Amino acid sequence: MTTTTVVIGGESDLLRVRSTMREYARHAGLSLTATTKVVTAGSELTRNILRYATGGQGVASIEEAASGQRRGVRAVFADQGPGIADLDQAMCSGFSMAGGLGLGLPGSRRLVDEFAIDSAPGHGTRVAICQWDH
Amino acid sequence: MAEYPLAEVEDLYSYYSQMMDSVTDYAVIRLDGAGVVRSWHAGAQQLTEYAAEEIIGRPIAQFYTAEDVAIGLAESDLDAAAKAGRHQTEGWRVRKDGSHFWAAVVLTAVHDRDGASGYGMVVRDLSERREQALTLRSLEQMVNSIADYEVIRFDLDGFIRSWNQGAQTLTGYTADEVIGHQVSMFYTAEDARSDVLEREMAGAVRDGSLEVEGWRIRKDGTRFWANIVLSPIRDDEGDVAGYVKVARDLTERREQERLVQQQRDEILELSTPVIQVWDKVLILPLIGTLDSGRAARLTESLLERIAADQAEVVILDISGVPAIDSGVAQHLLETVAAARLMGTISILSGVRPDTAQSIVHLGIELGSLRSRTSLKDALQLALGLVRARNWTGDGARDGAGDVV
Amino acid sequence: MGPGMGPETLSDRVPIMRMGEDLLITLQGDLDDLTVESIERGVTSEVARMRACGALIDISGLDVVDSFVAGALGRLVQMIRLLGAEAAIVGIRPAVAITLVQLGVSLPGVTTALNAEQGMARLRRTRVNGNTGVRP
Repeated sequence: MTTTTVVIGGESDLLRVRSTMREYARHAGLSLTATTKVVTAGSELTRNILRYATGGQGVASIEEAASGQRRGVRAVFADQGPGIADLDQAMCSGFSMAGGLGLGLPGSRRLVDEFAIDSAPGHGTRVAICQWDH
Repeated sequence: MAEYPLAEVEDLYSYYSQMMDSVTDYAVIRLDGAGVVRSWHAGAQQLTEYAAEEIIGRPIAQFYTAEDVAIGLAESDLDAAAKAGRHQTEGWRVRKDGSHFWAAVVLTAVHDRDGASGYGMVVRDLSERREQALTLRSLEQMVNSIADYEVIRFDLDGFIRSWNQGAQTLTGYTADEVIGHQVSMFYTAEDARSDVLEREMAGAVRDGSLEVEGWRIRKDGTRFWANIVLSPIRDDEGDVAGYVKVARDLTERREQERLVQQQRDEILELSTPVIQVWDKVLILPLIGTLDSGRAARLTESLLERIAADQAEVVILDISGVPAIDSGVAQHLLETVAAARLMGTISILSGVRPDTAQSIVHLGIELGSLRSRTSLKDALQLALGLVRARNWTGDGARDGAGDVV
Repeated sequence: MGPGMGPETLSDRVPIMRMGEDLLITLQGDLDDLTVESIERGVTSEVARMRACGALIDISGLDVVDSFVAGALGRLVQMIRLLGAEAAIVGIRPAVAITLVQLGVSLPGVTTALNAEQGMARLRRTRVNGNTGVRP
């Protein structure tokens, strides 16, 4: 199984993340809606890195996922930024963003089948998402 | 043989007797050259129940079973010890009360100061261990004979320790090919890379047993859907010493279930068509229970119809939905919000008194969502809205201040 | 571009077309910060310069709209309104609509329509009803 790694450093990398995720989603046979949702989540998470990570640096790793008969897309977004001090609060629905506030994490979580986040002050942030074809 | 001063010998003997008295798990018996019992101690009494005065002077054949006496086993054991110097054997022996016990016996030929020969005999009761061994052997044979279930054992580190006929039938591997290998060798590549095995083992320990279903791989690379039950094996101290895994092939059953589900879904999809009842007005009658997956698919198809038909109003008829829970309400609201983003007004129809109560009690905010009890009323409203939108006269504004 | 419709293209990716008294802004591809900024500059200056009555923002060419883009759209609408014109967002695709809703973006108070034609009709109605700012 191949993995595509995108080093995130600038705006143009956002486009690369999206097109890579789109390609993997297409390859895995995801529906249009499932694809749109997972690419949007990936876009949100990439923007977080660009906006909040130290120097706007981070890495996105995208690969095809398979479990039994299901196929899907898995993507991991990691950075060595400041980390999230209060993870519970950041993941709380009330903090969902509409273009500016917060990190958009609860919203991103709603869009994907699997969502896992690791973050602590001084330890950076790592978010793993996965979307299945059914 | 060295000569010992008498005092020293007596000390040695006293030390020796005390030592012997303290040995209670074994019987250490001295026999003379003819195989007659010459010494006794607490351990020997414990083992055979004979008191010293009852047994000293009797031949060791006293301890042998009638069958063994008949074939002269005692004599041949002594002979073997005399020839080889040492003879180790196991067999049934008889206690004073006639009960049998399985004994491990070591006979050693010894020489005392006078040069006469004799024997030292050490006897251990192996009954319990033999019982365990027999039980284990019979269990293993039983397990091995099970042909339609895989029943195997693996240790704490996941290495396979036993195999059975069923496991071979199921996976295609023989015992030689798997024993000593990791049990994750049957997992899909995906599962093998993650910590699925550790989690399953932990779950089995935590709950006493764990039942899971999942894909496994055969020797020839084909997949099968397995139903697996994991149970921890505990030692005498209660610590986990390994795991037993029982597995079945449920591929066929899963396939059937999948087909049934698929057919059910298709029927449900067919029974909720989006109806275009008027130019630019769509009705989506929702029938039956809505699970997440189905609701999501319905939303998708409705929105696609809106785009395709350029609908301006959509009526969501919920008279066929038995109960409104927060999940259903959530999906409805999401559908309405998404339709609104596309510029379409939604109307809820078929709201019953109990539905109205549920919705309010659930604390669901419907905002500006219009709602009617009957489809007829909803249609009337819909047509009015469409007319108003296409009429450049007095415009209508809805409750949210949005332009209609 | 036909008569009465001037090509007011900022960049190849963000064509702004004049349609009578209104503007039609077509967004396509992936939008980054710089593009959004130049769109805002371009649209606001055009609305002011033309004294446009309405602006349609056509996003049917966007297959992914994340919260950043949605926020930019909302702000663009506000800017247009401040300049006395009415705004509508048209062409949100079904998959995008579902995604935005689940993301928690609702664009409240923003006029939406399925396509430019419907959007135009809405804007016209709004105008007739006098619900926009003063426009002689």
